[in-house]
Amino acid sequence: MAPLITVDRLTKDYRLTVRREGVKGGIVDLVRPRKRILRAVDEVSFTIDPGEMVGYIGANGAGKSTTIKVLTGILTPTSGEVRVGGLVPYRQRQSYTRHIGVVFGQRTQLWWDLAVVESFRLLQRIFEVPEDRYRSQMAFFAELLGIDEFLNQPVRKLSLGQRMRCDLAAALVHEPRVLFLDEPTIGLDVVAKENVRGFLRRARDTLGVTVILTTHDLGDIEQLCRRVIIIDHGKVLYDGLLEDLRRGPGHRLRLCLDLAEPVTAAALAAATRDLPVQWESDGAHRHCALFSRAETTAAAILSRVLAAHRLRDMALTEPAIEDVVRRIYREGLQPGQEANLE
Amino acid sequence: MNGIQLAAGPQRTRWQRAGWQLQIIVAYFAQFLKTRLVYRVDFLVDLAANLVAVGVQLATLTVLFDKVTALKGWSFEQVLFIYGFSLLPLGLFNLISINIYSFAEHYIADGNLDRVLLRPVNPLAQVLFESFNVSGLNEIMLGAGIMGYAAVALELRPGPWDIAVFAVLVPSAALVYTAVFLGLAAVSFWFEDRLGLAPPIYNVIRFARYPLTIYGRGVQAFLTFVLPFAWVAYLPATWFVGGPDVRRWAMCTPLVGVLVMALAYTVWRAGLRRYTSTGS
Repeated sequence: MAPLITVDRLTKDYRLTVRREGVKGGIVDLVRPRKRILRAVDEVSFTIDPGEMVGYIGANGAGKSTTIKVLTGILTPTSGEVRVGGLVPYRQRQSYTRHIGVVFGQRTQLWWDLAVVESFRLLQRIFEVPEDRYRSQMAFFAELLGIDEFLNQPVRKLSLGQRMRCDLAAALVHEPRVLFLDEPTIGLDVVAKENVRGFLRRARDTLGVTVILTTHDLGDIEQLCRRVIIIDHGKVLYDGLLEDLRRGPGHRLRLCLDLAEPVTAAALAAATRDLPVQWESDGAHRHCALFSRAETTAAAILSRVLAAHRLRDMALTEPAIEDVVRRIYREGLQPGQEANLE
Repeated sequence: MNGIQLAAGPQRTRWQRAGWQLQIIVAYFAQFLKTRLVYRVDFLVDLAANLVAVGVQLATLTVLFDKVTALKGWSFEQVLFIYGFSLLPLGLFNLISINIYSFAEHYIADGNLDRVLLRPVNPLAQVLFESFNVSGLNEIMLGAGIMGYAAVALELRPGPWDIAVFAVLVPSAALVYTAVFLGLAAVSFWFEDRLGLAPPIYNVIRFARYPLTIYGRGVQAFLTFVLPFAWVAYLPATWFVGGPDVRRWAMCTPLVGVLVMALAYTVWRAGLRRYTSTGS
């Protein structure tokens, strides 16, 4: 399948003005500003296929928002190229906006003083949505987002959760091919987050929209995206399946055993001496084995332990995605994961 | 590579596109009126505040003319006419394009420009017409009242030609206002609002409500060629109340409006390019 979005060696520099101090400094700044160049995005390349839902994650200032602004046509890159369905966003911006929907979690795209329904009517006019398409879209939003409950309220009176639901609907009313979401669950409570995530899943499946999602909430990524791109200091650190990230050799699973009789950690280590396992003990009955999927399996460990001991209970936990990502930031990629880098 | 090819948008000629954008502007305006009708009390409060402000300024004029019967050859009624006339384009500007006045704060600092750039409508058209300020209607009504009173007192007998000229001069003068503040808005792409020029320049408008001949040559030249507020009231109004020697300049108002607007739009375009290349 040919990609819908192609980002090729995208680089974006900001020229920052470094302010001088005091009144005199302020005047000097006006005449002869002191500039510093900050490379926000550094030779970033990736492609995204139609219908994909990709998580684009990174710490604050990693270059996420800059990438999104270039992809949505708001910013022109310093070098490199972006193509979305054959269009270059920042060169054909006005035509291009008809094919994309954008949600900035921290700012509404709606008109603050207008009733929600009036905002939608204006968007219908601006994006020239035929009446029948408009009606079916609104019915879809009413069913999945429940926005029909507050269609007649002005946007400024909505709660954050309600506003976000409206913003999602507003971004999709013209049936865009690509949806850009910048922190769509920021500030929402657990229930509202679940609503948004559920809606995004349905929107992808029903509308076939391609989604790029930036977020701090890795729960969003876990629930929505198979693929993640991790960016740090403007460079792509990882681009691949979330699952591979988790199964990588650097990320260890934890198999916790509750044994019927007291056992020492040394005894368990002896029983599994042929396996690359590290034991942690929590009392005489409870012991946890840390291991990597790439090196051994839970079954192998269990069979060694069960040969000598009686088991009461057990639990296998995946590494939390937060831990995985934190580890990547801290240590970079493990050798086995570099294959995933383009 | 046979990827998905997105359409470049509806094919329209330049004029069709302009017509379509105009429809959007009308839709914005209709929406705005609807919301404002909800706040009738606000409207009345605005009206009262405006009446008081204009009343104070008129009282100043009356006191002034109590002492002197004429001001550098201008009678009280003539001054009143120019004053009333000045409120019409100002009201039009306030009604339609006041958004441009707070551009640096509302669009650049608050990030609303990004939202504007995500829509398939000319960014300037969106900024100018996205919201309206009803108090502009008060100024228009007051101005019309004052000007009408002065016209009756002066026993002006406007012919059809004068009315046609009037209908051209008022929007032209409003265009001058819009162009000046568009230019200031465009400058804020470079300086953000660190210069804070808009409020002091808005205050200069007050000087332009009187016959410019009451000021020194330097001020007259400044208001005619640098900050062209001579063209928002005094010069166009002289068509109706001025002597033949100043009157001919009135007809240059539309030309000045278009020129200043073209200049401001060029700066705006450059500023917008800078914004999209720097993101600040």
